[in-house]
Amino acid sequence: MNRIVFILVAFSIIVFASNYEGKKSNGIQNSLYLNECSSCHMGFQAEFLPQRSWNKMMDTLDDHFGVDATFDKSDEVKVREYLLKNASDAKRGYGEMKEFSSSISRTSTPLAITEIPKFKREHREVPKRLIVQKDVQRISNCMACHTDAKEGLYKERNILIPNFGRWDD
Amino acid sequence: MKLISLLLLTLSLSYASVVTSYLESLSIEVKKEEPNFKGFDKQRGEKIFTSKHIGNKGKEISCVSCHTNNFTQNGENIFTGKEIAPLSPKTNPKRLAKLKTIKKWLRRNFKDVYKREGTALEKGDVITYILSKD
Repeated sequence: MNRIVFILVAFSIIVFASNYEGKKSNGIQNSLYLNECSSCHMGFQAEFLPQRSWNKMMDTLDDHFGVDATFDKSDEVKVREYLLKNASDAKRGYGEMKEFSSSISRTSTPLAITEIPKFKREHREVPKRLIVQKDVQRISNCMACHTDAKEGLYKERNILIPNFGRWDD
Repeated sequence: MKLISLLLLTLSLSYASVVTSYLESLSIEVKKEEPNFKGFDKQRGEKIFTSKHIGNKGKEISCVSCHTNNFTQNGENIFTGKEIAPLSPKTNPKRLAKLKTIKKWLRRNFKDVYKREGTALEKGDVITYILSKD
């Protein structure tokens, strides 16, 4: 009996600890994904988009926003696996990324995170001049204003817009 | 000491051999088409690197648009704004160090600028140009 209790307790500690680690930061750990995808742009978190979006993304890498982004076929398989495993509809999400992905209609398959309805709503009020300025340049440049973008947090209190300052809705 | 220098020598030789052996294989490929082939040429490579073309995105670009023509400094992807590490292997030891990566970027970047893959001659010339600069 004691042994069973011990095993149960140990098991819950392991589960809790691994969960806790996951919640602390959502920084991308997959080096293959980062190496292949973030050489041209920020490594966007898989949690933003559902599996159908990532499948379409990986199926159309030869014309990835007008650029050939194909790489080694066996590496493409591994990156797809990683994306599908971490897609918004593959696990229980939380925080901003959960809210963003929840706003995607079931009938749409967005490829750009900037096309997500909640993304558009959240950025609607940002003046254009702050986006096109040299330090930001484009709306997809998350890290320019979201100081916690790499950690996958995107908290409002961590927004710092260059030449403007904190953002408060 | 002798052992260390020998080790360093082997290390640097094996290191340089990735791009050198790739150039060698490209040259064999060119010779199949052109038996009189005299070798890759940095001037031809420079023209490939610096001349402008309507690229894959419909915009007039050259390799210089993103890489700049100073290979010791960072470039910037003009479409995403992401920084690109220097092209010179002397400044950036990771550059031209892995065959898989060399082939990947040549294939993609030729498509970006020329809307087609480069020929063996063009690839050899452009690598020769990159290696000829500081």
